[in-house]
Amino acid sequence: MHIAWWQILLLTLYAGYQILDELQIYSSLSAPVFAGLFAGLVMGDVKAGLIIGGSMQLTVLGVGTFGGASRIDANTGTVIAVAFSIGAGMDPQAAIAAVAVPVASLMIYMDILGRFTNTFFAHRIDAQVEKMNYKGIERYFLAGALPWALSRMIPVGLGLTLGGGFISKVVAWLNGPAKWLGDGLTVAGAVLPAVGFAILLRYLPIKKHFPYLILGFTFTMLMTVLFGSVQTLGTGLAAVSKSFTTTFNGLSMLAIAFIGFALAAMAYQRAVSAPKAAPKAEAQSNDSTEGEIEDDEL
Amino acid sequence: MTNSNYKLTDKDFNQINRRSLFGFQLGWNYERMQGSGYLYHILPQLRKIYGDDTPELKKMMKTHTQFFNTSNFFNTIITGIDLAVEEKEGIAGEDTVTGIKTGLMGSFAAIGDSIFASLVPAIFGAIAANMAAKGNPTGIFIWILAQLAINVFRWKQLRLAYNQGVSLVTTMQHQLSSLTDAATMMGTFMVGALVATMINVQFAWAPKIGSVPLNIQNNLDMILPKLLPALIVGAIYWMLGKKHMTSTKAIFIVLIVSVVLAALGVIAKG
Repeated sequence: MHIAWWQILLLTLYAGYQILDELQIYSSLSAPVFAGLFAGLVMGDVKAGLIIGGSMQLTVLGVGTFGGASRIDANTGTVIAVAFSIGAGMDPQAAIAAVAVPVASLMIYMDILGRFTNTFFAHRIDAQVEKMNYKGIERYFLAGALPWALSRMIPVGLGLTLGGGFISKVVAWLNGPAKWLGDGLTVAGAVLPAVGFAILLRYLPIKKHFPYLILGFTFTMLMTVLFGSVQTLGTGLAAVSKSFTTTFNGLSMLAIAFIGFALAAMAYQRAVSAPKAAPKAEAQSNDSTEGEIEDDEL
Repeated sequence: MTNSNYKLTDKDFNQINRRSLFGFQLGWNYERMQGSGYLYHILPQLRKIYGDDTPELKKMMKTHTQFFNTSNFFNTIITGIDLAVEEKEGIAGEDTVTGIKTGLMGSFAAIGDSIFASLVPAIFGAIAANMAAKGNPTGIFIWILAQLAINVFRWKQLRLAYNQGVSLVTTMQHQLSSLTDAATMMGTFMVGALVATMINVQFAWAPKIGSVPLNIQNNLDMILPKLLPALIVGAIYWMLGKKHMTSTKAIFIVLIVSVVLAALGVIAKG
């Protein structure tokens, strides 16, 4: 197990920062895929970090924070899984199912605890409002950052410091007597993104937009098969002839996204240029409430 | 003093925006959610409008710590409309302000959560994750740039809402619903694309008919490649529609079923 003290320190600090970023400026530095990149950089294996971060990103793709509900904490799960995967030599795909997902779901309770602790500060603020102590209000409000950050930093710091020996044993077991389970977890890691896609479909109006689902799937599927076959051909040709040096790249997801964007832009333009009949009625009702406000003034 | 003579300046707007972007949700709690955050982000301006240590200020501070929860991408639209009223009417506008806040927070929460907390991360997250799977971090930086652009809008909307008042909401309504519709369309398209590329699993089961092993995956590929990933997503979609099913439960069910099927040799990594 090789996780140095400074690596634990950096990962713990990041765990605290990421939740504050998510609450505030939402720069996407709090996304699992970035957590994977950062943890990979710190641990010295960016590729493994990106694989774990990318898969966790897809697994929670549709899981938004609706109305302040707690959700599976994929960011923290990613940080710990990347650290242990690289530190203890666990296959990244297996680490997703064996470490990242269980840690991410246990972290729900830390999130609830953090939000609960903040109720205490809300009552301190009430007391300061009573005393008209403006500095006090601001101090207790900003103190709310502590429960948020600590609810992530404590599990990451303790987990990485104390969990190493245990994880090393688990890895040895998964690579040895329980190889079937290790392989199974690798397959599970590959299937998990399907959950994220299904959750997302639950939130999307697919009854209305189902043609686009079929279009996106079929077009991309054909392209993937085509690009994959061309790559296989290229590898084969290169093996046969040394003079064949061209390499073929895989399918670019960004290009697919641009096609989706173009379709959406066309629909948007059509909708905006269409005569608006429905919103007018609502505008009138809003006008009448405005009228009431002016009456009060008189 | 009921009518304030204080006029909000550029400095005030910048201060509110700074506090909103870097401090709006720090005090989030189960009792009143963003209540204390709302007070914090306009406290300096309230003090200027009502004057320090006045009973009016105390009353309004109490009003603004009440329950509040909306999308933190749209919250300053409500702030802008609120401050325009308070600046004009002072304490007499208290009921109006409470009405505006409670009336608007729900609809902005719904739109904001579905666009900014769900669709934008889904689309950019999918691109970033897809590149990351190949060991390429570029997609992550594209996402960061997109979020920075969104933050520019978050900064500008306060002033716009302050100037236009409630009429902004009605003009926004049509555009926002068209925008949501277009965004969900792109989201649906992207999910289809992701199902076809990001679930790398295939049938490993090869039952023998007589003495000839039947390669199921090869036969399926002839009908429709990537059929298995599509079926898996369809099955999970159906499962999520069941009562008492949460996303966390679904993740664990999929995890366990996958391990069992892999151990039995039915599916393998593609």
